[in-house]
Amino acid sequence: MQFLLRWAAIALLGSLPMLAAAKPIAFAKGTTVMAEYGAETMNEVQLFYAPRYWYSIGGGWLELTSDDKSKQRHITYVRANLLAKRWNLPGAQANVFAWGGLGRATGNDFAGDTLARNVGVQIDYETRRIYTAFRSDLQESDRFSHRIDTLQLGWAPYEHDYDTLATWLVVQGRRYTGELFDGIETAFLVRFFKGGTWVEIGATTDGKLQAMAMFNF
Amino acid sequence: MNRYKLFTAILLLIASPFASAKTVEMEVNGLVCGFCAQGIEKTLKALPATEGVFVSLENRLVAVQLKDGTEIDDAALRKALKDSGYTVVAIRRTERSLDELRQQAKRDD
Repeated sequence: MQFLLRWAAIALLGSLPMLAAAKPIAFAKGTTVMAEYGAETMNEVQLFYAPRYWYSIGGGWLELTSDDKSKQRHITYVRANLLAKRWNLPGAQANVFAWGGLGRATGNDFAGDTLARNVGVQIDYETRRIYTAFRSDLQESDRFSHRIDTLQLGWAPYEHDYDTLATWLVVQGRRYTGELFDGIETAFLVRFFKGGTWVEIGATTDGKLQAMAMFNF
Repeated sequence: MNRYKLFTAILLLIASPFASAKTVEMEVNGLVCGFCAQGIEKTLKALPATEGVFVSLENRLVAVQLKDGTEIDDAALRKALKDSGYTVVAIRRTERSLDELRQQAKRDD
C-alpha cells in the first residue's frame, strides 16, 4: 500500500510543471519567522526581514540527518533573498526567487567547523485553488555538498478570502543529495493559513512527521 | 448673474466626483493569498490620508477609505501598490463605504 501511495504521489508530481513552498519574502517591511520539522531528515528555523517587497535579509539554522543516522550537519547561516521576477495576473501570481548566503557548519564525520555556502532558487505559481512550486536549496562546504529539492502541489477545496481560513491539501516530494536520503521522500500535508499565520502538518509515506509553521508580521 | 451661477454649478459638477469621493476602489492583479492582502493593507494604512482599508481576493479589489477632507492621487496609489509588489489595473472613486464593500464581497462569495 505504501509502495502504491508513493508511486501515485510521484506520478502526480511528475505530471505538473512545478510545485510549492513558503515564500522567502512575504511583503515590504515585513518580518517572516519560519520553523520546519522535516521527517527526521531536515529541521530548519529562519528569520527574515524584507525592507522592500523584492528582497529580504536574515538568517537561519539548519540541521540535516541522514536516513541511517550516520551523518549529521548543523549549519548556521546568514542569507539574502531576491525576488528575481514576478508576474501579477488576474487571479494568479507567479514568482522566481533566488538566494545566497554564508554560514558555519559542523558535522559528526569531520572535526571542527567549516565555512558553508548556500544558494537556492524557487519557482512558484498560485491561484486561490492551486498552489505549485519547486525549490532547490544547495548547502555546500569543503566537507560536504547537499542539495534539497522540494516539489509541492497544493489544492484548495474552497476559495479563501483575506478574512477567512485558507485550507490546502498538499503533496510534497523531496529529494536529498549527498547520501542523506535514498530516493524521494513523499509527504501528504494539510496547510492552514489566515492573516499572517501559516501552519502545515502531515506525514511522509513511511509515517514520519512533517510540519511547518510560519508567521508574517 | 445667471451666467455666474451657471459657471459655478458647472465647476461644482466637475469637481464633485473628486471632492466628495470618500473611497478609492482599485482593481489589482496578483491578489491570490492572505499574505498579499496583509502587505497591501500594511502599506496603505501607513498613508496619512487612509481611514481604513479593505481587500477582497474574490473581487481582486483593494479599497481605501479616505479621512474627511483628504485626498490621495492615482499616481500615489499606483506607486503604493507597485511598491507592495502588485499591479493596479483600474482605479475608481466611489461613495461606497468599506462596510458596503464587505457586504458586497460576502454576497459575491
